[in-house]
Amino acid sequence: MEKISRRNFLGMSVKATAATFVAGTFAPASNSFFGLAGIAEAATKKISPFTFAVITDAHLHDIKDHKFDRILERAVDDINKMNPAPDFVLYGGDLGQLAKPGELDKGKPILTRLKVPYRIIPGEHDWYLDLGKGWKDRFGTDHWSFDHKGVHFIGMNSILVDDYWTGRSLTPDERMGWCAELESHRCGAWGVGSEQLDWLEKDVAKLSPDTPVFIMTHSPLWDYYPRWNFQTRDAPEIRQILSKFDKVIAIHGHVHQVVYNSMGNMTSAGLLSTSWPWPYPNVQMPYPSIRMNRADPADIYDGLGGHKVTLAGDMGLGGTLNYQVWSDLLPANVQAGIKL
Amino acid sequence: MKKHKSMYAIGTSVMGLSLAGVMLLGGPQDVQAKKPVSPAQAEQERQELLKAVLMGDALWHDGSLGTNGLACGNCHPDGSASNPHTWPKFQTNLGKVGTLREMINWCIMVPLEGKALPTESDKMIAMEAYATFMHDGVPIALGKDEQHGANPVAGGAGYQLPSGVTDLGAP
Repeated sequence: MEKISRRNFLGMSVKATAATFVAGTFAPASNSFFGLAGIAEAATKKISPFTFAVITDAHLHDIKDHKFDRILERAVDDINKMNPAPDFVLYGGDLGQLAKPGELDKGKPILTRLKVPYRIIPGEHDWYLDLGKGWKDRFGTDHWSFDHKGVHFIGMNSILVDDYWTGRSLTPDERMGWCAELESHRCGAWGVGSEQLDWLEKDVAKLSPDTPVFIMTHSPLWDYYPRWNFQTRDAPEIRQILSKFDKVIAIHGHVHQVVYNSMGNMTSAGLLSTSWPWPYPNVQMPYPSIRMNRADPADIYDGLGGHKVTLAGDMGLGGTLNYQVWSDLLPANVQAGIKL
Repeated sequence: MKKHKSMYAIGTSVMGLSLAGVMLLGGPQDVQAKKPVSPAQAEQERQELLKAVLMGDALWHDGSLGTNGLACGNCHPDGSASNPHTWPKFQTNLGKVGTLREMINWCIMVPLEGKALPTESDKMIAMEAYATFMHDGVPIALGKDEQHGANPVAGGAGYQLPSGVTDLGAP
């Protein structure tokens, strides 16, 4: 039994590698986490502790020397100084603000300065000017999976909406503008769509239930505050597909804040941005003690940050997410890191 | 710069003018300090207020008050955490007891890197009207140090609008 699942796991890993590698997404000559050693380790099902970093929501503007450039650069520099170095970096979407070529062309070289490989998914601010063409040209596929040290990592594009522009004859700029406002009652609720659901189903079909799964989307995989698209329309279907696993850890951008939830086999954590903090919506939070303090708007680094994730486990995945901040943003219970 | 002409189109045909004439008189007057306005006039005044709210909503989101692409809505979606029910109060960045309008100007000048508005200008009044509208019914809590979200607005199917706003309007 163990042998069979091991072989399946190996087969899946290789297949996922072939299917999801896209030139340009990884920094060249540093894709060690993607190599054979990682796959061999994966087959043991034992998760030796490893660490990776996460940054998201830079919202770069096509304006010279914009302050958000400095914040993303500082986050990248801090990751490059981590000792030991993280195995890789995940980026959770909204690299740009209005999906302009100048924004993405500014952001990609900053991310390429990372000394370890990174994987990236899009946010709505990367997408609705040209429906993702410019983003895909630069970063490749918008959904992917890979295996690292026994954990199956998944990234998906969760910001796909129904067509609101054709019937109204919106220009590309207008289309982007409608979706760029958080109070997105104009662009409507988004999700991953049926194609990605089919892909996900196939992607995890051969994985055994004790495979630890880590999934990153731009928006939360639960209904937090739909008016601000703090939701993913087909999150219930995603959770259903992943329900066979013992443990699933989910992280998401978009909310620019500390937030946490736990649903069945899935734990979920929100990420800080490197642009501006969003306030908490006026709704009941599922875990109200896991939150951040108010930020000082006079300090451009307050309310922002990056993340260090450590995963480990013998027969089941455990993890810790440490919010890495430049200010006095975190209450004591969150400073210690939150359990995933 | 994002076009944001008409966030909310406001219903205009609520009350016919002929009906308004009939309803000028009547109604309890014992608790009124002055003669009550007619329902038609009250509605007209409400529409004037909503026009200011509409203008404030546009200014709040369109980035026209700053120079770096940012807008009030970046940190204060739906006017959240602007806390209009807590002003005037001592505010650290202002270094004194100040008003919401002064704080709006601080935000325009510092995070948005823009030029302050005259505090009695139509634009400033519209900004205050929008922020306050989104906190309608929240009890006054003078000086309270809290970060209050805007009134919750249902989302999901249909994306309901704040009360008093009847339509999204044409783009």
